[in-house]
Formats: sequence, structure tokens, C-alpha cells
Amino acid sequence: MNMELSRRQFLGTAGAGLAGTTLGALGFGGVEEAHAAAIRPFKLFNTTETRNTCTYCSVACGIIIYSKGDLKKGEKADITHIEGDVDHPTNRGTLCPKGAALLDIVKSETRLQHPMIRRAGSDKFERVSWDEALNKIARAMKDDRDKNFIAKNADGVTVNRWNTTGFLAASATTNETAWATYKAVRSLGMVVFDNQARV
Amino acid sequence: MFSFPGAVQPDPSVIGGIAQPPLVQLPDPVGLFDARAKRFAHLAEHSDLKPYLGFLSALCAVQRDIQPGLPEVEPLDADALARARAHAMPPLDRGRFTSAPAFETTFERLLAQARAIHMPETAAAALDRVIAADAAARDQMVRNVLADALPMEALAEHVFVAAALQVHFARRAAGLDGKALVPVADGVCPCCGGPPVASLIVDWPHAPGARYCGCALCGTLWNYVRIRCTACGSTKGIGLEEIEGGTGAVKAETCEECHSYGKLFYQNKDLGAEVVADDVASLGLDMLMRDRPYRRAGFNPFLLGY
Repeated sequence: MNMELSRRQFLGTAGAGLAGTTLGALGFGGVEEAHAAAIRPFKLFNTTETRNTCTYCSVACGIIIYSKGDLKKGEKADITHIEGDVDHPTNRGTLCPKGAALLDIVKSETRLQHPMIRRAGSDKFERVSWDEALNKIARAMKDDRDKNFIAKNADGVTVNRWNTTGFLAASATTNETAWATYKAVRSLGMVVFDNQARV
Repeated sequence: MFSFPGAVQPDPSVIGGIAQPPLVQLPDPVGLFDARAKRFAHLAEHSDLKPYLGFLSALCAVQRDIQPGLPEVEPLDADALARARAHAMPPLDRGRFTSAPAFETTFERLLAQARAIHMPETAAAALDRVIAADAAARDQMVRNVLADALPMEALAEHVFVAAALQVHFARRAAGLDGKALVPVADGVCPCCGGPPVASLIVDWPHAPGARYCGCALCGTLWNYVRIRCTACGSTKGIGLEEIEGGTGAVKAETCEECHSYGKLFYQNKDLGAEVVADDVASLGLDMLMRDRPYRRAGFNPFLLGY
């Protein structure tokens, strides 16, 4: 394999253009030059294939996302196709109908893209910032916990339960994310909890 | 989990009939070169590389036609096979290759029949030099091909030597038990330890979308994880380059870790794709890739110099 390098160096130092190729050595140098001239006006463009996990359910099928445009070069990337990952041991390239339609979800105009709120008495949703949304959720959780937290049961045994709020986490997570989710939620005393890692 | 003799083992892959893609697809020596000759001929029709593709089509037809009646290839030693498997080494040991009657006959027949191919004078002269070469010179050329290190000044001669070795190693690989093979290393053929020409994203009914690397020497196709550099095994910074206005059937997979690229052929876009033939026919992509900071990783004795 080292010859690959030495050949390149040879070409570089000799400055001989197409010299030193199999085609040239066999006497097809003219064909090679014509092809090089014909291909010159054409441009290359960059696409990417990225491994990911389907976000729908706890089966967590592997998917391959095809995109056009290079983020590394500051271009805008656009997802063009999504298919099952044949190398993934769970689904081996297959997808359920929902997974097979993932591209339509990505491109969906009705897809939720920002935190939205429908305030009391209003009949429509309005966009809010993440800070406002998270503050509101935290406030509601704190109020509910303060009101309904059970520190001790009827026998006086410490139980530290918070039964009135539940937590549903996503499936497309790593073990570490699931661990952190579990710790955060359980430390509040929440009992109704599911991170979809059941399969 | 415990198990007792005769216990039924759960096999989730049976659900839906989704089998794991096999590690290797061993070559069928006649079928391999027949398909390759036809693919070269087909590609020649629509390419301005027509004279070269036509020459290679004729050479592959010779590779196919010389096979009936060749002496049987030497059987592999069972101990050597077991040792190769135990240490994850390729069972066809290139370093210990010795020229036996089966290869001698293959070589002689190929040289004799290649003489009838219409080719430029330069190529014919190179062929004559191989025919005239003594045993020691031929042996040196065989070693060069098996080391994937062809001398710059004699690329043409080595095309014919490589063609003969391809036939011989395809016949040897065909005699192996595919199920007994083990992965050797990233980007290394599990049969003969060679580098890949390019990769095929296959459209086989039992493994649609799986990637198979094609060996430049023995013609074995081996399964390799997608979106992973075939030269260094990295999964970081893998990108794809393709020619604008194309069908998307040919792409160069680039790696930011080792700065090399390997070609991918998508059978779902072009069902007839064959690694060696399509690699030569897609020379335009290599020509455009010269302006990019990546080195060609694929090894193809019919397309050196890129």
C-alpha cells in the first residue's frame, strides 16, 4: 500500500500530468487524456450519510440519514433520505411504517419546532422562549410537589413519594442519558416514570 | 442465562425472516470473470474510455475462458487453516505463495490467449516481454503483484501477471468454507489479506443495503460496516463526494482521519455494478478527486496511478 504514496510523490515531482498510470503504460494514454478533458467541466458535490436512532419507540431501530450539503464547510445541510441501518443488530435495515415515514416527519410543516403555550382563556398557541417554557414547567412542578409530597406514610415510615406528577422520557437515548434521567427524576421522589427502556 | 443440552435457543433474527448478512461472498471463478467481462462490455458502450474498457472486457473473457480443464488448485493444509482462523489471519497466505503446476498452467494459458486480444502496440509489447521472461523474472513479477507493490516502469507487464493471479486466487478462494472465515482487520480481505478495490452497497434480497468490499486479487466480497473508512476503520468525519448531475450510483467515501477515499457503488441505483469494472469506468471521479485533499485507498491493478 505504500506504493500509493510513492506514486503520488512521483507524479508530484515529475509534474508529468497523467504519466505513470496503468492506462498510459498500456498505450491508452490518449483515451485517458480525452477522458480527463471531458470530465474537467464537471463539479463534485458533498453528501453525508449519518447513523442515528429512530426517535419513535423503545425498540430504538438504527437508521441512516442521507443529507446534502457540508456543515463543516459552513453550508446548509438538507436531509434527503432516511432508511434502516442494515448494520444495526436490532432491526438489520428494516423499519416499521412509522419509521419508514421519518422523512415526512422531518419535513412536516405542522411539526412542533419551538416551545408553544396556550395561555389560560386563550384559544390559540403562541411561541415562547425556552427559558420561559422551562421556568413555567419548573414552577408548576415545584408547586405540585410542595402541595402533594408525601414524606412519611401512615405508619410514620419515611417514603418521600411524589405521586401526582409523572415523567415520560424518550427512547432514542444512550445508557448514560437514561441513567441521568433516572437519577434526576427519582431524586425528586417521582414514582410514575418511564424512559421507554423496557424492550 | 443457563442452557442445557438440546435446549431451544432463542433467535430473534428469525422474526420477520431477517438474516444477518454473511461475512463473505466467495467468488464463483467462472461466473465472476464472466460477469466482469460483460459488465466491462456494457460500460464501454456509454463511455469515452471505450477502447480501454473493451480491452479489459476481452481480458476478463480470457480469464473466464482459460478455466475449463485447468489442474485442480492445491488443497489447503487443515492445520494451516485452523491456525489462520485461531489467529484471525487470512487462510490464503500470499507471503508463502509458491508457483505450483496449477498456477503455471493458468499463467501460460492466459498469456497465450491474451495474445489474440486487440490492444495497442505498447500493451502487446509488454505482453511479449512477459511471455519472453524467464522463471526468475516471472516469479519477481508475481511477488510484486502479491505485495500490491507494482514498479512504476513495468505497470503494463504486471496487468497480465495480476490477471493470471486473479484467476488462480479466485479458484483457491472458491475452495474455502465461507462460514469458517473470520474478519481479519479493517479493510483487509478475510481470504487473501488484500486491500479492497472498492465497496458495493448490495441490493441482495437477503441483505439489501449492506456494504461489501471487493478484493482486488481473489474476488471475494466481504461484509463491512457502512459509514466507516475502509482504509483506517475510523467512523469520524466520513463524507461522500459525487459528480454533479450523476445518478448517485457512484460515490467517493472520504475520511478526515487518514485523508483517503474509497469508492462506493450503489446497486439499488445501478443493479449491475461490479467493483473492478465500475471502478475503472468511474475513472472520472478519481480525476476530479485529485483536487481534493484525499488519497485513493482502493487498489486495482487495472487502474494504478490515481
